[in-house]
Formats: sequence, C-alpha cells, structure tokens
Amino acid sequence: MSPSFSRREFIASGTALAAGIVVPGWAEIFQSGPDVDAVRAEAADEALAQAAKLGASYADIRVNRYRRESIATRERQVQNVSRSASYGMGLRVLVNGAWGFAASHRVDAATARTLAGQAVAIAKANAALAARKVVLASADTVKATWTSAFTRDPFDVPIDTKLAFLMKLNETALAVPGVSFVSSQLLLVDEHKYFASSEGSRITQRLVRTYPQFTTTAADRARGDFQTRPVVDRAKLVGYEYVEDYPWLQDAEQAGHEVVEKLKAAPVTPGRYDIVVDPSQLFLCIHESVGHSTELDRALGYEANMAGTSFLKPGDAGTRRFGATIVNLVADRSQPGGLATTGYDDEGVKADKWSLVRGGMFVDWQTTRELAPLVGQQRSHGCLHSDNWASVPFPRMPNVSLQSASTEVTRDELFSGIKRGLFIEGRGVSSIDQQRYNFQFGGAVIREIRDGRLGAMVKDAAYQSRTPEFWASCDGIGGPASYRLWGTSADGKGEPGQTNAVSHGCPPARFRQVNVLNTAGSS
Amino acid sequence: MLSRDEALTLCETVLAHARAAGAEDAVVSVASEVAAHARFADNRVTTSGRSEDLTITVTVWVDKRRGATSGNDASAAALGQLAGEAVQIARISPVHREYVPTLGPLEYPDSRGFVDATADVDVAARAVALQDVLRTCREASVSGAGVHTTNASATAVATANGNRRYFRASEAACSITARTEDGTGSGYYAGDHFDVRQVDAAQIARQAVEKAVRSRDPKPIEPGTYPVILEAQAVADLMGFLVGALDARSADEGRSAFSAKDGKTRLGESMFDTRLSLHSDPMHAELPGIPATDEGIPAERITLIRNGVLERLTYPRFWAADRKQTPTPGPTNFIVESATPLTPLPEMIKGLARGLLISRFWYVRLVDPRTIVLTGLTRDGLWWVEDGVIQRPVRNLRFNQSVLAMLAPWNVEAIGPSVRRSPFMVPPLRVGAFTFTSISDAI
Repeated sequence: MSPSFSRREFIASGTALAAGIVVPGWAEIFQSGPDVDAVRAEAADEALAQAAKLGASYADIRVNRYRRESIATRERQVQNVSRSASYGMGLRVLVNGAWGFAASHRVDAATARTLAGQAVAIAKANAALAARKVVLASADTVKATWTSAFTRDPFDVPIDTKLAFLMKLNETALAVPGVSFVSSQLLLVDEHKYFASSEGSRITQRLVRTYPQFTTTAADRARGDFQTRPVVDRAKLVGYEYVEDYPWLQDAEQAGHEVVEKLKAAPVTPGRYDIVVDPSQLFLCIHESVGHSTELDRALGYEANMAGTSFLKPGDAGTRRFGATIVNLVADRSQPGGLATTGYDDEGVKADKWSLVRGGMFVDWQTTRELAPLVGQQRSHGCLHSDNWASVPFPRMPNVSLQSASTEVTRDELFSGIKRGLFIEGRGVSSIDQQRYNFQFGGAVIREIRDGRLGAMVKDAAYQSRTPEFWASCDGIGGPASYRLWGTSADGKGEPGQTNAVSHGCPPARFRQVNVLNTAGSS
Repeated sequence: MLSRDEALTLCETVLAHARAAGAEDAVVSVASEVAAHARFADNRVTTSGRSEDLTITVTVWVDKRRGATSGNDASAAALGQLAGEAVQIARISPVHREYVPTLGPLEYPDSRGFVDATADVDVAARAVALQDVLRTCREASVSGAGVHTTNASATAVATANGNRRYFRASEAACSITARTEDGTGSGYYAGDHFDVRQVDAAQIARQAVEKAVRSRDPKPIEPGTYPVILEAQAVADLMGFLVGALDARSADEGRSAFSAKDGKTRLGESMFDTRLSLHSDPMHAELPGIPATDEGIPAERITLIRNGVLERLTYPRFWAADRKQTPTPGPTNFIVESATPLTPLPEMIKGLARGLLISRFWYVRLVDPRTIVLTGLTRDGLWWVEDGVIQRPVRNLRFNQSVLAMLAPWNVEAIGPSVRRSPFMVPPLRVGAFTFTSISDAI
C-alpha cells in the first residue's frame, strides 16, 4: 500500500472540494515583521525596567504567540476545522527572595508597567511567608534565535490536502470488514517565543509540532461488546513532512485488522509472565516511572499536593541503584524530533543532554536555575517551561530515553528463550502512584509469546509492577536499529495545571516475571 | 472582565463581519477571564501569579460548510480578520453533515454562581490566610503543600439567528497536603466554592494535618476485596467516569457502559442502589451551574438517575434531531443524593465490622469502558476499621473496580450527606465490596 497519497487520488475519491485558494491567511501577529517585533521588545524592556524600579532583584518575561490548527473527522465526514491564535506576555519577578507573576493578553508598554506593579505586589505579599529565599544558579547571557527542524511548514499546506489525508485514513480503516467507527485528528502547533531577562538575555524561538492521530472501534451490537485500537501517540517536533513520509495508511489498515481481531481475542489468563515491551508502549512506562521520578522539584516536595513526590530522595544521586546494570537512561533537550526539544528553556538556559541513570545507578536530576543549587549544582540542566504566556514557568520534563544495546539485538532475539510471555504494543491505560512506585499499564495490542515465537492476540491484559523491581528485572534491550522515538502531547503537572509535550526514545526491552492482570469487569 | 454590553458589542461586531464575508449562519462567543493563584510547598510560597485573557471564537456556516477560528486580539482589524478567516475555512470545507441551525432568541435566568470577591481576590488577605495555614503546619511538625486558586469568567454568546446570552461565573478552591517529617504520614483535604469567603483555608489545613498525623507508619494488608467507606472526596474522584458515560450517542452506537445487547440501551434499568439519585440543577444553592448548556439550550433541573434507575441519557442538539428527541436541557453540574435518611461519616464507621476507610484516590483511569472498570490508587489517608473503630493506618493500595458494580443495588450499604466537590455534590458512601489488586509503597 502506498505510504501517502496525492491530491489527485483525493479528488478521484469523490470527497474533493471546490478548487481555489485553500490556505486562508493567518492573523497579522504571525506575519512576523519589524513592527510586531519592535512593539514586543519595547513591552518586554518596559516590564523589566519597571520591575527593577519597584524592587525586583531579577525579572524575566515571555512574550509568546501560538497558533493551532485542528481538523477532526469521524467515519466519512469532517466534524471540525478550526484555528486558534493567542498572543500575550507573562512577567516573573523575584523580590526579597520570593516570586511574583502577572500576565496579560495585551502586549504594549502601558500594560507592561501594570504587570510589573501586579507581579511585584504579589511577590512582596508572599515574601513575608518565605522561610527560605530563592537563589538562582548562574546562567550565561544569551542573545540568540533558534528554530526547530522541519522541511515543510504545516501551516502552508492547503487545508483540503489535510482533509484528504484524514478522510483517506478513515476510509482505509473502514474498508476492513468489522470496523464500526473511526475517528481521526490532525493537530498542528506553532509557537513563537520571545524571552528577555533582567540579566540581558534576548532569545527568539520558533517550534513546530505535527500530531496526527486516529482510533478505530469495532462493536458487536448483538453481544453488546466493543473494543478500540488507538494509534501510537505520535506527536513530534517536526513539520508536515511527517504526514507525507510515514506509512499512515498501512498503519490504519493494520489498526482495522487488529481491532477486529481484538474483539474476538481470548481474555488473558492472569499471572506472572516474561514480557517484551515495544517502544510504542515502553515510552509511556519510561515517562511515568523514570521521567517523573527524576524530577527534583518532586523529590523536594514542591508537587506534594498534586503530582506527588518521588521514591528518589534529594541525596540519592550517585548512591542509589535504579535498575539492572544494562539500563542507561538519558535526558536530552536537543534530540531531533523530540517534543521537549528546544534551543533554550524558559529561563534562557541552553538545551542540555545528561545521564539520569548510568549502568543501572541513578546519577542525576532534572533541574532549573532555582533547583540546581539545592543539590549543590552550579548550573541548571534547563528544565524550566511554561505552557502558555499566561502560565507561571516551572520545572518540566526533558525528553527522557532508554539507550539501546551497543550491539544489534533484534526483537526476535528478545523473544527467544521465553516459554510463556506477552508482547505488548501501543498505548493502553496507564496509572502510577504519587511516588512513582506502583504502576499499571495496558497496551493497544497484546500477543502471547510461546516458546520464543509470537502467538495469538489476548485482550483485557495489563502489566503491573513496582518501578525499582521492574527496571531490575530488565535483562534484554534491543539494538540501535530497533530504537524509536514516541511522544505525548499533553503531560499534566502543577497547580494550576499545565501541559507539556515530551518524547521518549527506546528500543524494545524484555522484563522477567512481571505480574499481569485481567482487567475486564462485570456489572 | 467584560460587562454584558462590552462583551455583546464585541459579539455583534464579529457577527457583522462574518455576515459581510458571506456567512449564512454563525455563532460568536467572547469569554473574558481572570485567574489568580498562590501555590505553596516546603512551608513557603513557591509560585504565585495573576493572569487575564480574552477568547473570541467564531463558528460560521456557508452552504452548510463549517469553519471556526478563535483568537485573543480584540482590535478592530483582528475581529474582521477572525471572521473572514472562519468564512474562508468554511468555503473550502466539505458539507458539515451535523449542521443544526443556530438558536434563536431564548430566555435565560441570571447565573447565581458569581461574586466579585472571588474575581477581585485580595492578595494581602490571601497571604494572611496562607500564613495561618503554614503556621498550623509548622506547629504540627508537618510539611505543608497546597494551592489557593480563584478564577472568574464572563462569557457572551450571539448567534446569527438572534440568540443572545451572557453569564458570569467564579470559582475559588484551596487544597492542602500535609506530610509528616519522618515521611510516613500524609493527609489531604480540599474545599471549593464560588465565593472565596466560603473557602476556609485554616479549617482545610487542620483536616489535612489531622489526617497526616493519623496516617503515620502504615502497615501493609493483603490486596483483595473489602468493605470500604469512601469519603466524599474519594467518591468525587470516581464520579467523572460515571457521568462521562451518560452520552446518548455512545450508548446508541453500542460503545458505552449504557449500551445493551441487540442495539438497545440500558435506559430504564434499575442499575444502582434504589436510594441513589443523580440530577443536575443550575439553580442549586451550594453548586450553581451556568443556566445554559454549551450549545445554548436553557438549563433546567434534570434527573439522570432516579432511585437507582437510569432515567435519562443526554442528547446534544444534533443527536437529538437525528434520533427525533428533544435536546437535553443540561447537565451543568452533577448532584448525587440519597432519597432516604442519611448516615453521617462517623456513623458509617461505627457500623463497619471490618473494612477500610478511604480519603481519596489518585491517577484514576478508565480500564474497561464496557463496565466502567477503573484503576487507581488510594492516597493521603487509608485506615483499617474493625468493630466500628478506626484501628490503624494501612499502606496504600491499587484498585481495579467497576463503578457500576460499586453502586449496584447489592453493594451500597450506607449513604451520607452530600458535599460540594465541584462540579459534583457527592456523599460519602459505604459499600460492601471494593477490589484492590496490589500494594503501593507510596506515602
């Protein structure tokens, strides 16, 4: 099957629309030019100057504009084509060792002065409560421009081309006998970020994300049963070339066959299994059990009321075993295509790459300028992020990935020697406790492994384990050729809640004697 | 925030631009919002801020083709561009098969859930309140973490067919987690109200501290099926999954817990304990809702579950038209109540021979939509009760449990008085069987 399709194919399918101008113009704020840039710089400078005048020892401001395009379909119809744009600025100030923040959708010098007054008043009110003053790790003064890598700007692609892609995707899945429903979406995100600090940094960045997704459903109306098979979560920091180059139609057809097979699959027999976890599922396990447990703000209790703390303690770096000696986990904000990849973080620290777990030992944290000094480090690893100009920046996860084996190890080699096991692919239900010990993950497609070979599909299965034991039970990791990067576009954390897009790379990996549940219920 | 006149004038301007650009039907909404928060941990404020924003959304139809745009720039040029762009998108989109003409003029009562005190929160007063909270934590030798939030919004909507509406809403909330210094005890408590003056941070802190101290040094018990008492917070943590399944379309399409065999739904079935009812009421004194659905249908008091019977599934306008039903005038909130005399929480504990008392749940996810099986974990206070007395704290547990089975006629033993946990009013419950599958070491 063709990995993509042309406009001609779309027209031939009978779904085509009237030809003509197909890329409506975007609002003026996205026509980046000297006028817009000058107003933005003037507002930022005014906010920083006013904050200093009112007593701030440090201040930074993010003047950001975002645009999103979303197309949603179900079966043979388009549900929604929408675009949104947002522009505004958020000022953060440090006064007497306490933070204050104020933000507005108005970007001009007068509003900048108002925000400085509001942010300083908030900081002063809170400084009285501070048992400890905030101290920032030093950072370089940066003047830079950075743009994420893409070859085709998705906002320049005609809307009918995008509609055609989704309708063809749906048609392909619906062509499989037994598929009842399919929904698909294309979400495109464009962030234009401007950062200025009282230390003199001035950074302009642009990040482009492309996020196609679909879900197939098979319903057996007579029995009152149904199953779904979602696509692997595939958002990436790339352009529209991702839609054109990846074999989406092949994926849709496979999803159709798998959801029909799933409806007829035998329920899993609960028990202990050796499991091989595909990158399409393991990325999520890494996210929850490694990504969140190595956030220093959690270990220090900053997230105790919401996301929780961590089983790792602030003094554990360099002294605590995390998993088997073959396990190496790396944090990287410069990884190509990674959703958390950036040039500079939201306090102007250059993208970094560092080890979190080396040879199975936990060796380092995710940090920001505020957090690094609290574990005796001189420099931040650059993990500060805000999901909007209106949101207070706080520590967020970089891309956290499992390194592949140094030599080639295939998936079949990981299966060999397994008498009774399961191969788990795709995103299923995930849940983990507030210190990141106890987790439970499902999968989109789960098959038996019998005597080293892949067998029949099973349903209603989830694996459940405890982070240290799970990573200690890892005795096989795929080689470089099997490494894949998947991501999640909406990782929640903080109060008020913010979302973060982040990717995790990994090869498939084998884990011994993991507890598997049958999750089907009865009413 | 924008006044009624300001917001509706903006709507009219965008509508005029949309019509001029060729829109045959259109709906415009203008929402202005202000939000403030103070977050604390490690016995100090960690982040605190205030933000204001405006969202202008326009959806248009041209030859039943639909286009939608939104932005936050209210300048004259931007409003025209927003409408023009929506029309351009509509012109190149396929026919919107679920198009239903926008609403005409309708009467709406004023929303009851707004107060100025929440919209214009006093930052200094909030700092004093949090100082009390942190003092309470320090005096009890616990580490306090939490957040105080206030949000207010004003939303105006105008349609090309003459519908005009404007509602304001406010919401204040405070939640606190107290952790003992030895790291073996943790307690959480929360409260919310549309009037910030009704959110008692000091009382919330005392409850959280008491739970932290009482939960120190928990011991493990075997996972299994136990009788449990769910505090109101724990019930609220599960309730979203039940109300999320009340959509008629999913049930009609055979992919919901309320779908039945042979293409039918479970409407009219006695699925829940006969004392349980679930209704929505925009005029509820404690938990007022916006008096209109998102689509603009004037909201009324509606009953979804009456005395254990699934009485109503919700029909948005398109699905109602498709199925020859009336669009559902709600829900805008969810009120779970008992029809019989209530059993306060202390009485529930006294009446429990052997079982668990659960404060709240965490990371709850839908495992099996066919029976609303959820998984998640207990958190911040779990105790073993025996002979009507709380005996000792126990280690947290992971559950895998169907909500339908939890609320089934054979399982509910006692129902308490409902409390506000927005968007729910929920009671504490005692149920006969609740299934836990593993132990969590998390505190």
